[in-house]
Amino acid sequence: MKIVVAYKWTSDPEEATVGADGVVNWSRARPGISTYDPVAIEVARGLAAATSAELIGVTVGAKGVGTPLAAKAALSRGLDRAVIVEDDSLKGAGQAELAAVVAAVVRRIGDVDLVITGDSSVDVAAKMVPTVLAGELGWPAVAEVTDVTGQPGALRVGRAVPGGAQVLEISGPAVLATSADATTPHVPGMKDLLAAGKKPVEHVDLAALDVPASSAVMTITGRARPARKERKHQLLDTSDPAEAAAELVKALREVGAL
Amino acid sequence: MDFELTDEQELVRSTVREFAEAELAPVAGEIDRDHRFPEEVLPKMAGMNLMGMPYPEEYGGAGTDYVSYMIALEEVSRGCATTGVIMTAHTTLATFPIYKFGSQAQKDKYLSDMASGRRLGAFALTEPAAGTDAAAGTCTAIRKDNSYVLNGSKIFISNAPFAEIYIVFAKTDPDAQGTRGMSAFIVERDTPGFSVGEAEHKLGIRGSSTPPLYFTNCQVPADALLGQEGQGFKIAMQTLDGGRIGIGAQALGIAQAALDAAVAYAKERVQFGKPIASLQAIQWMIADMATSIDAARLLVYRAASNIDHGFPYSTEGAMAKLFASETATRVADRAIQIHGGYGYTESYPVERHYRDAKITELYEGTSEVQRMVIARAALR
Ligand SMILES: Cc1cc2nc3c(=O)[nH]c(=O)nc-3n(C[C@H](O)[C@H](O)[C@H](O)COP(=O)(O)OP(=O)(O)OC[C@H]3O[C@@H](n4cnc5c(N)ncnc54)[C@H](O)[C@@H]3O)c2cc1C
Repeated sequence: MKIVVAYKWTSDPEEATVGADGVVNWSRARPGISTYDPVAIEVARGLAAATSAELIGVTVGAKGVGTPLAAKAALSRGLDRAVIVEDDSLKGAGQAELAAVVAAVVRRIGDVDLVITGDSSVDVAAKMVPTVLAGELGWPAVAEVTDVTGQPGALRVGRAVPGGAQVLEISGPAVLATSADATTPHVPGMKDLLAAGKKPVEHVDLAALDVPASSAVMTITGRARPARKERKHQLLDTSDPAEAAAELVKALREVGAL
Repeated sequence: MDFELTDEQELVRSTVREFAEAELAPVAGEIDRDHRFPEEVLPKMAGMNLMGMPYPEEYGGAGTDYVSYMIALEEVSRGCATTGVIMTAHTTLATFPIYKFGSQAQKDKYLSDMASGRRLGAFALTEPAAGTDAAAGTCTAIRKDNSYVLNGSKIFISNAPFAEIYIVFAKTDPDAQGTRGMSAFIVERDTPGFSVGEAEHKLGIRGSSTPPLYFTNCQVPADALLGQEGQGFKIAMQTLDGGRIGIGAQALGIAQAALDAAVAYAKERVQFGKPIASLQAIQWMIADMATSIDAARLLVYRAASNIDHGFPYSTEGAMAKLFASETATRVADRAIQIHGGYGYTESYPVERHYRDAKITELYEGTSEVQRMVIARAALR
């Protein structure tokens, strides 16, 4: 059995700065594994341990995602090996394009039973890749996954839905996106860090994957900061709670908020 | 010359930082306030393989290089200086003597339990009347048949009473001159005649326990002797040579924590309509703090790198400890200055960093002792 974890190697926007022109300056932001992806690895590790599956990390992206440091950082979290597509033409690639490349890697690995991803990427946060990836593979996609048990071909998947939880049974391969708080990922130990350097890493050429290029080109042509809202700076000057509540309701009605 | 850390060393830093920020920093203030030894933290440290980093895996260690160990100790101390001293007192002071001087039987018996963090160790050299002048100790260990009988007391012993294994120095030949009559022993906590006194109330690193030890006709088997009779002083000094670099790393972590706090506060605190970070007076303090921390870091890593390369490190370690510890005290002082009156209160962590920093100028050889070691080498 093979489980793939698709993870992203990217920079945390909290460490980036925004210039006066609205352009994000990423130069001070240190690259790392995207915030929620360790959760995906942890969930996958649990399932892999229970089913003796091989756990394969896959990442695709521009220059930097395949450095030895990046690979070791991901592998130290419990992956058995990694398959990496590092190509600068993927700089700024959209979710559909990235998902198509990941799908090609999954097909190339072959006999993959399950793909697990994080909830959303820390830099883009569009939550689209798992769904598009599932579409590319022709597999079902499940988001907000809280736990996975069972065997390939008979997986029990728990997921959070608005107002509660559901349990699904899935009989074939699928793409699962773990919820941000599905589990608390463990911090790798010192031995894991040293062992990571000994695990196999396969670098795959983008050209060798034969991913059909999209004919559409998307570029950002305009930027604006969010419009500043007019503030009323209205103070309710009363100590009686009932009176204050009534005044608040009145004020909200006046501006059409109620 | 190469100043780049390896991938593994970089990962040690980011990983231990992640651990320290999640597990150590949040409790550092509370254990200081309550003078509480953070027992619950030790299994977590062990789980991260942080209690025996430089020892080979077959002995339960993590098998890292010494630079990685120092980086980890720096990051742990940045989160919590108390945990830093627990880690180094255990890893270097208590475990190194067994690793370096222990018989195969002693290594088999103790090393994997210690290097994996299952059993905590302590190092007992200092006595009430023998601090810097360690050879003046009056603890005795007199051979009797197939055992030694220990009598006397020790003071300021980090990790006691939570430690289970103690490296104890005592005179096997009380009449010998100078350093010659001293020997080292491995003493287990439940040995009859051995007891631990009340922990001292301290200025800083308040979560670490520092009580006296008492030996009253405490009988240990002859095979508790570490190395040869009369080798004790050498064992102590070699252990402290490495330990000093660790105190340098602890000081570095404290200094970095103080600088981090000062930078954050300077950007946030507004006076005269703008953040105080925009004032040149504050910027100059921050520039000096950052520069001396960087210099201290280079000294600490260089001394550790000497160990990794099999080069001499005694003088380099003394320089690293001297400079890093005095940097920590100075930087913490400046961090309070930048915080103004708020820095003098417990609402901000810098008063704790200030109290924690001071010990690094005292234990494992005072600054005066480090200067003596450095001057001796320079004047040779
Ligand atoms: C919190 C804490 C934890 C400790 N943990 C341990 C431990 O785990 N194990 C252990 O064995 N010990 C431990 N110690 C003891 C510590 O190492 C000693 O306190 C230290 O070595 C200094 O000894 P002293 O306190 O007796 O000072 P003294 O030796 O009395 O020194 C007093 C002053 O005289 C100066 N001085 C002394 N001799 C000379 C000289 N020849 N030339 C110039 N100046 C000199 C000193 O630098 C100092 O300024 C700990 C101490 C503390 C406070």
